[in-house]
Amino acid sequence: MADPKKTFRAGVLSVVKHDYLPRAVAAHPRFKLVVVADDADQPDWVHERNQLFADEFGIPYVRDVPKAIAEYNLDLAAVSSEAERHCDLAVRAADAGLHVIADKPMSTRLSECDRLVEAVQRNDIKFLLWNRNYLPAVIQAKEAVQSGAIGELHAIHVDFYFSKDAGPSKGTRQPGDPPINWLERQIEAHADGSDGGVGNEAMGELQIEGIYPLGYVQLLTGQNVQRVFARTATHFHQANVDNHVDDLATVSLELENGIVGSLCIGRIGAAGHPDIGEIKIHAVGSKGGIVISEARPEVSIHYRDQPPLEFKNERIANENDFLLMDDFARALDTGCETILNARIGRDIAATVFAAVESGNTGQPVEVTPLK
Amino acid sequence: MIRLALISSTETSEAYGALITRLHRAVWTVYAPANSGESGQALGKVTEAASADAILADQTDAFDALVIDTDPASTARLAKAASSLSKPILAGPAGGKLGALGQADTLLMPAHPWRFIPSIQSVKRSIDAGKLGQAGLLRIHRWLPPDEGGGSLSEHILPDADLACWLFGGAPKTVWSLQSAANPDYIQFHLGFANDGMAMIDVAASLPSGGDYFSLTMIGDTGAVYADDHHNMNLLYAGGQPNAIRTSQGRSDLADQLQEFVDAIGEQREATVTLADTSRAAAVAAQVIESAQTKKVVEGRAGN
Repeated sequence: MADPKKTFRAGVLSVVKHDYLPRAVAAHPRFKLVVVADDADQPDWVHERNQLFADEFGIPYVRDVPKAIAEYNLDLAAVSSEAERHCDLAVRAADAGLHVIADKPMSTRLSECDRLVEAVQRNDIKFLLWNRNYLPAVIQAKEAVQSGAIGELHAIHVDFYFSKDAGPSKGTRQPGDPPINWLERQIEAHADGSDGGVGNEAMGELQIEGIYPLGYVQLLTGQNVQRVFARTATHFHQANVDNHVDDLATVSLELENGIVGSLCIGRIGAAGHPDIGEIKIHAVGSKGGIVISEARPEVSIHYRDQPPLEFKNERIANENDFLLMDDFARALDTGCETILNARIGRDIAATVFAAVESGNTGQPVEVTPLK
Repeated sequence: MIRLALISSTETSEAYGALITRLHRAVWTVYAPANSGESGQALGKVTEAASADAILADQTDAFDALVIDTDPASTARLAKAASSLSKPILAGPAGGKLGALGQADTLLMPAHPWRFIPSIQSVKRSIDAGKLGQAGLLRIHRWLPPDEGGGSLSEHILPDADLACWLFGGAPKTVWSLQSAANPDYIQFHLGFANDGMAMIDVAASLPSGGDYFSLTMIGDTGAVYADDHHNMNLLYAGGQPNAIRTSQGRSDLADQLQEFVDAIGEQREATVTLADTSRAAAVAAQVIESAQTKKVVEGRAGN
């Protein structure tokens, strides 16, 4: 067991998108950011963002990951790069003996997820994939299910619609206009924090956000998904159309122990909801059912000259970031597993990849188990 | 004034009786009990026939149109028997059983009361007005206590299969479904429509006795509509944890459905709900069950 009073030294390995993850690390009293690091061969925009974050926190930015790991006596790495680099940076940190917190999605390749799971096991380090499992309403759902209030779980459903815009609407590209470049669009989206899909590889909403609702499914059932059937579509955003990735999807889930599940997910545009979006958990058990709104508790705020896109209902008592870091500190202190470790994250990623394949083929797809 | 006859239970006649003052251009004149001992007293001053069969044999001069609102099997049988009278009939809900009647010369309006619920009417108006743009995703959760679920699995599925077809304006092209092995009263179905439209629907007839739950979301490319019981709950404090109590939507479903029947007769037009709609929904329900049993994607076969 580690010293429960120890402050863990964290290095940020790339911070190119919305930076809630390293900010959460910095905000927890058991952790201290000491350096930002990235590879020297990264493009200028990556270095600029890394430098900006380092300057804000008054810590150095080192364009050499091994050097930063070697010289700053790090306990952990916080990885917030483009999704396609998550696993590689995490594996390199793990191989250096560092614990790792990584932003979602885990990767754009299942093989990379497998590589990370192996590295985590081989190096006996702790890993946390960022998630929303400590939102107050999700905790409430978990308590209700675990208390047996609805009996044995038979079915679980998550509706997860983010009512955010994502650039020009579908159908707005004029004849002769070039298709929207995914990376350029994501870089541009940094201004309003909707750049969760930043990277060279285009990702649909299933890939970018699917970890969250599927994390709820895993949390509440404790089971893996074995088979999926999905429908995917590009319904809203020209960038998704041009890059052939979904912005709306429905997924049927067959879980272990015969549990049936479903997921509806989309980036449905700001017009479709007054707040961040309709996000709900429904579960049916042998003794009843439960309906949970992920947004609760919240406070409604309305006022003259309110900006049209400002959320009218403000989420309150949201300690998700703090509790995730508490969870990670507990894992480091006691050796227990984190709430969403590498294995679980990998299995969720496998579900997402199977769903994308099913959406493309129109047939059910078996979820690839870890070998 | 159109003279209406009703074949139903006492309870249903009371529901119709409460709507008397809201009905335009029609009046109840005859009642027949679905089962012996039941009464149509709530309908006011009407002729009470001894039985459903008697009304069809002896009272045909006393009414212009017939409303049959009994259990599905009886409704289908009575509708078939009444079809020879050449009088307009509002029948149901009778599930797919009405489909066997084929094309009638006179108006045969199958009852789809779920379409006339105020929240669903609001959803449909939003779609028809173009507020939502191209319909993209329909999500329905319908949970019922076993006593409300009643009937067969197909009958549980049919209302939402109909809503999906109605709201998307056609039958699904592909059908996928999952049935819980642990809970045979639970089924999830996943429909694919033209223009990448998709519907994900779960129906559970296994809630404990008491209230039911319904939630419908339709997401289009320019907006979304949420008709959700969760949103319409008030709180009752009577010791212990508060109880959620749903605000009633009244019986506009019954009133508006009946008025549509009367108006279709008066205007000599087809009703907004047709036998083809029932047949289409019944066909989708059959495909849902087929997919659950075969664990395969079923190509849609219902007509549009």
